[in-house]
Amino acid sequence: MSSRVCRTCGGADIDVDQARGSAVCTGCGSVLEDNIIVSEVQFVEGSGGVSSAVGQFVSAEGPVKAPLLGSGFHTSVGKESRAQTLQGGKRHIQQLGSQLQLNQHCLDTAFNFFKMVVSKHLTRGRKMEHVIAACLYLVCRTEGTPHMLLDLSDLLQVNIYILGKTFLLLARELCINAPAIDPCLYIPRFAHMLDFGGKTHEVSMTALRLVQRMKRDWMHTGRRPSGLCGAALLVAARMHKFRRTVKDVISVVKVCQTTLRKRLTEFEDTPTSQLTIDEFMRVDLEQECDPPSFTAAQHKVKMQQLEQELVRKLDEVEGEISCYKDEIETELEKSRPKLRGIYAAYSKEIDPEDAEVLSSTSEPEEPEVGDAELQAATQHLTQNFLCQVIQEEEGRDKKTEAGPEKESLGPLRQVAPLDVILGKLTTTTCLDLNKSPDEEQSESGVLELDDIDDQEIEKYILNEQEVQVKTELWMKQNEEYLKEQEEKEERIKKEKEQGTYKEKKKKKKRMTKGEQVEALTAGEAIEKMLEKKKISSKINYDVLRDLNRGGEGGSGPDPPNTLTHKPLTRRRRNKTSEANDLAANASIIGKRFRRLISTTTRKKRKTSSSQVENSVTMTTQTTTTDTTAPPPEPEPISAPTLAPPTVEEEEEEEVEDECVSALQLVGDYGCEAEEEEVF
Amino acid sequence: MDSSNDEALDIIITNVVATFRTRCHLNLRTIALEGINVIYKPDMGKVLMKLRKPKITASIWSSGKIICTGATSEDDAKVGARRLARTLQKLGFKVRFSAFKVVNVLAVCSMPFAIRLIDFTKKNRPIASYEPELHPAATYRIKHIKATIQVFSTGSITVTGPNVQNVASAVEQVYPLLFECQKPRCK
Repeated sequence: MSSRVCRTCGGADIDVDQARGSAVCTGCGSVLEDNIIVSEVQFVEGSGGVSSAVGQFVSAEGPVKAPLLGSGFHTSVGKESRAQTLQGGKRHIQQLGSQLQLNQHCLDTAFNFFKMVVSKHLTRGRKMEHVIAACLYLVCRTEGTPHMLLDLSDLLQVNIYILGKTFLLLARELCINAPAIDPCLYIPRFAHMLDFGGKTHEVSMTALRLVQRMKRDWMHTGRRPSGLCGAALLVAARMHKFRRTVKDVISVVKVCQTTLRKRLTEFEDTPTSQLTIDEFMRVDLEQECDPPSFTAAQHKVKMQQLEQELVRKLDEVEGEISCYKDEIETELEKSRPKLRGIYAAYSKEIDPEDAEVLSSTSEPEEPEVGDAELQAATQHLTQNFLCQVIQEEEGRDKKTEAGPEKESLGPLRQVAPLDVILGKLTTTTCLDLNKSPDEEQSESGVLELDDIDDQEIEKYILNEQEVQVKTELWMKQNEEYLKEQEEKEERIKKEKEQGTYKEKKKKKKRMTKGEQVEALTAGEAIEKMLEKKKISSKINYDVLRDLNRGGEGGSGPDPPNTLTHKPLTRRRRNKTSEANDLAANASIIGKRFRRLISTTTRKKRKTSSSQVENSVTMTTQTTTTDTTAPPPEPEPISAPTLAPPTVEEEEEEEVEDECVSALQLVGDYGCEAEEEEVF
Repeated sequence: MDSSNDEALDIIITNVVATFRTRCHLNLRTIALEGINVIYKPDMGKVLMKLRKPKITASIWSSGKIICTGATSEDDAKVGARRLARTLQKLGFKVRFSAFKVVNVLAVCSMPFAIRLIDFTKKNRPIASYEPELHPAATYRIKHIKATIQVFSTGSITVTGPNVQNVASAVEQVYPLLFECQKPRCK
């Protein structure tokens, strides 16, 4: 293999032993190479007759794990980071790839892509998981595995378009031409998921034929391949007498119901759909279809023609309708409220114009009214009439769709009103604003360009009255926002006074679990933890804190006698007794903690009447300790606590539980305060 | 400029986006209260003002930067921008019209034939990319004129570029490629 010159003697005669993997110089006998990587597999018999293969494991990462420290210090630091990146990437790829059930070859290829990406610095500014997903998808496409980008985005819970962006970018930068997706690739996978039993293969074949037919009929360009597969599989299943509903199929294929139905209707429009099942399997129609969007466009053209026809027909019917129109007019004249002031002038002006408009368009037109509301009402009325007319027409013409007719009437109907509005009344469309006729006054001003119409610009600016009204409206609309702003400012002012103002409060505080609780005693630590974590929503923390502070009168050491007797009794009493024991122990630990327990026990005593007598003896000791605690303090507390007694009891129990558990542990371990175990 | 073929292709410009600066600080609240057709977006920190005559929507920031969208030609965009500046001037701000630049032009064109997207993508790799899962059109990016063309299978294409000239030349460039991969209509 390595026909080199020996280093020591300069001899060119080198013996390479393939089996041992060594290269030895025959001249001087020095070993030039050891552990050559060979492709032979040799077995060696070990002790006890066990044969094992000869060889060593070589790491896939190569020599990266042993960087040169000392001499190549700078480069090694860089290599370390790069090595870490690659290692991390490899791990992620393995993870994701195994979830997708990709084989090792694919994963290796993906890792190679990843290495290329990293060397081209394309990972900068992108989330690692996006890059890795893109690499994996690249592999899927080049290998032709039936994995969709949708699967990856499902796994990562990332928007598919974001992944797609990354994927496209990587493909472009790495100059990798991913072959186009063929819907035929997905058929076996979906067929498998749809559970056809023994006939899966046949159904897949039928579905494949259908998809190919769809391709020929130009249904597949620009569409998601999964949608096509879904439609094909549905039809194939039905052909083979399997009951698969649309819902089953869409849950597997991950498209929307509407999409599937659309594909089916499109397929229905092709001539292939007219064949019977047998014919379809045997014959392949020569004729190809236009894409569905073409046919849709043609459909549109047809519709337009029909509309034009309809207009002509309407003209004929116009005579009938005009008499209705007259009737409506008279009715509305009677019911219309009298317009006062400037509006009266407007309404008079409108009517003659109205007449002109009517005659010109020869359209069944509702009478023009100044008020927008009445306008709407009349429109509605005429709409109803016209609907009736249309229905009559339908009967005559056998038209299936009333939709386009209505549509055609809609725009035609609206033409006249808009004209009138834009002609007379000016641009303002706000509801409550006074339409002042002063807008025609133009400022002479400095004209920058000839084509800028100052008059028009004047119209864009409201005058004072309008400004006032608009200000009111705007203030009302944005009340919430303004309130928020005011509150924010007040808050900032207060904090500035207090000196605790922080500039940027936008970053949300992350609840780090590893936050170290600094406390002098176990009691303090637990207290702080309770404050922070808010474990139970039922605990009234304020009261708890008050209690804590309330018990500041200092309590003498509890007698340790209570330790031995109590653990036997089981019930609430037990808890109080335990609490007492533990309270006793607490004295060893810290004052505050004990106070907490003792005050809670006292609270409990107050709320649970039955235990009072029983626990009197037991708690006498604690009472002695607690007499120093200010009696008035707990009374106000007890008042609110008594109010919801049951809830409080539970609360206390919970608090007690924790304290109990802490103290129990404490009791077990003696004086050591095991803070962590409380949590 | 149309392509030099028998039939003239209609390139319809649908949108022109332009930016300019007023070189003065603008009080958005004043604009919101005293202007017609304005929408104040306090969370985004801008005011949307819509003009009627060149149909334009402008996003106005308090720093004085303004983006005008919706114009149908470059000249229109300029007129609209000027008009907008004039309006702001009348509202009382010391506006100076500076740094007007057309940033983006969007045009639509329709080929008289359908296009085989997969063929088109295969022939023009890596400039063209087609990802049916993401978007129904194939994207063709011409780097040197910085134009992006989206090709749909029906034959209609949308072109975006920094100015109208680029857009026109992009269409000219891409036409022969599309012609090769055409699909004749059946009916």
